[in-house]
Amino acid sequence: MFDQRIVQAYRQAPWRVQLQWIGALLLVLVVGMLIAGVYLYLTAEATAAGTHIRELELEREDLQIRIADQSTQLAFLRSAAFMQGRAEALGYKNARQEDIVYIPVPGYSGRQVVFLAPPPGNESADASIIKPAYKESLWEWLYQGTFDLIESRGIQP
Amino acid sequence: MSSSNGRMRLIGAIFIIAGLAIIFQIVRVQNSPQAKELISFLEKTYNQEVRVLKPERGNIYDRWGNLLAGNTEVYEIGIAPPQVINSDTVAQDLSSILGLDFSEIKKIARSYVEEGNERYMVVADFVSADKVQLLEKKLAEYETAEKPKKGATPSLNGVHWVAHLRRSYPENALAANILGFYNYYDRVDGRGILGLEEQYNNLLAGTDTQVVLPMNPTEIQEIPSVPPGSSLILTIDRGIQAAMERIAQKALEDSGAEAATILVMDPETGEMLAMATTPAFNPNEYQKYGDVFPLGSHYDRAISQLYEPGSVFKVLTMAAALDSGAVTPTTPFVDTGAIEVGGLWIYNWDRGAWGPQDMTGCLQHSLNVCLAWIATEMGPTTFYTYIQNFGLGKYTGIDLAGEQVYPLSLPGDQNWYPVNLGTNSFGQGVAATPIQMITATAAVANDGKMMAPHVVKAYIQDGHQYDISPRLVRQVITPETAHTLTEMLANSLENEASVALVEGYRVSGKTGTAEIPGPRGYESSVTNASFVGWGPTDDPKFIVYIWLEKPTSSPWGSVVAAPVFSEVVRELTVLMKLPPDSVRQQLAQQ
Repeated sequence: MFDQRIVQAYRQAPWRVQLQWIGALLLVLVVGMLIAGVYLYLTAEATAAGTHIRELELEREDLQIRIADQSTQLAFLRSAAFMQGRAEALGYKNARQEDIVYIPVPGYSGRQVVFLAPPPGNESADASIIKPAYKESLWEWLYQGTFDLIESRGIQP
Repeated sequence: MSSSNGRMRLIGAIFIIAGLAIIFQIVRVQNSPQAKELISFLEKTYNQEVRVLKPERGNIYDRWGNLLAGNTEVYEIGIAPPQVINSDTVAQDLSSILGLDFSEIKKIARSYVEEGNERYMVVADFVSADKVQLLEKKLAEYETAEKPKKGATPSLNGVHWVAHLRRSYPENALAANILGFYNYYDRVDGRGILGLEEQYNNLLAGTDTQVVLPMNPTEIQEIPSVPPGSSLILTIDRGIQAAMERIAQKALEDSGAEAATILVMDPETGEMLAMATTPAFNPNEYQKYGDVFPLGSHYDRAISQLYEPGSVFKVLTMAAALDSGAVTPTTPFVDTGAIEVGGLWIYNWDRGAWGPQDMTGCLQHSLNVCLAWIATEMGPTTFYTYIQNFGLGKYTGIDLAGEQVYPLSLPGDQNWYPVNLGTNSFGQGVAATPIQMITATAAVANDGKMMAPHVVKAYIQDGHQYDISPRLVRQVITPETAHTLTEMLANSLENEASVALVEGYRVSGKTGTAEIPGPRGYESSVTNASFVGWGPTDDPKFIVYIWLEKPTSSPWGSVVAAPVFSEVVRELTVLMKLPPDSVRQQLAQQ
């Protein structure tokens, strides 16, 4: 009897409804904060990735310039006049007709013209290297995910 | 109690209405046309960057892969005035390292403080990497240095350097007449000028790509990889080119000529192995063009300077006569020292009469009278048909910018007179470029087949190498005629014991000495000395054309140009690894 009274009193207590409201509001707030936290985390990750990608792209440009420059610098060091000077400094002299002995080499067809094209590379190299996931916002991801889910279950949106 | 509740509800309602009003206003302002305009403006101005990606200009290589034209790293140096901390350090370092004016730099560095200038100012461009390294060293020093107790901290803050590429020619003046040059100081509208740089400008330059890059790092935008411009692989052999330029320079000094040109071609394919012309010009310093080539002079005499070739033309006349059946090698001719053609008298180079000759003798002694007679025997129609088929009066189509041509005067033209038939037969009254002459004569060395001259052997585009096949222009004379004439020209050199001969190698060739037309007729005091020759006679691997303009040591091609040919062949046999005839024939028999 006493227990029933306590339950009755609890049920009728005015602060109980308020607590329910507060609890619901807190739940919404916590869920909201969780979503905001995830959003912030993903945005921070995306920003870091974006900045890193930009740095890598700049580095690639820099490397391309350096490679071109190094090839040219090497060509300066291997230029005809420079090599002639180096050879003479080392005591070499230009070959003359009378210095040369010709020996037949079976199968040798003479010096071939240079082939300079780069070796065949990955055909997919031209395709985009940044995956779509790196470019999606959370909203786009959710929307696309929901859309894919609906489509996979055959439900008409 | 109820009135208290009523007040609370009223206050709550006011707050809710105020909150909703604020939200409504936020949404309204965000979506107003002015807001959209502002967002669009800000996005364009601050949220994205429009960049034009210029591809790396394609390289140019010789046939063995030696780089003749490439790109080197240089820097643009600029100052962002709002970022400058210490204008004295900036001015001091930039003036001492880059040689810039101290006060000018200081004025720019202080322009934000004094005038509120926020604009980035470029103060130097095309600065070498060495100098930028010095700046980097200074920067590192300042970053690690302790703060001074008095005065401002030394700092290069606000100074920026950005790398970019500049066209560069590692061989300096070598093959400059073939390469042309690129006016790299014009970073916006730079283009290839003359030679290959102009002819293949679009191919070498590639295609610019414009990209819009968001400044917001969360909006990742991939910068597309811009393929470089196509690269060219030439038919030119760097070793042969260097040797020919050396010989041309020596010939110039020995003969006292105004200019020298030496061309080497593979007659079988039309591939140019070397094209040496004077004066030397370094395309890395293209801004000196005007000093090296005064107004009216030619950048590449081999393709753009027309001249009356003289007796080397007799090869073509004799080829036409033999092929048409007008004469045979043994056709007798009695040289009386003069012949009348079109009402005017034509004489030999020495004004002498050489008596009974056969056709080989006519070539050996370079008898104008004999060749004029041969032309009259052929008649103008046959003669000019052959000469046109040899490509005279037409562009050879060599893949170099700047080729010139002079139209051939033909019967019926206003500027053609009957005497032209006689004078044209020995290369006077007709203008040609060295490239036209070597292309035409190469047909004789290649079984009568005239090949299109070219300097590009292959090009590399999008990672693939595409070969350019040799192109047959036409069969000008029969193989039999070509062999006969080649033999006659070899015999004539041997009979004459010419200084053009090379021990161990049989060669065919012809000297040429041409008078130069001036405002008052031909000038007897100055000549053009030439030589065209090829070898080995039984299997030609090269044809050489030499032209010395206005030599002073001797006017005769046989004296000044023939020994140059001999020297050229001695070099070529070594560089092309051509064994002496006896060794080659011995090896062939094995």
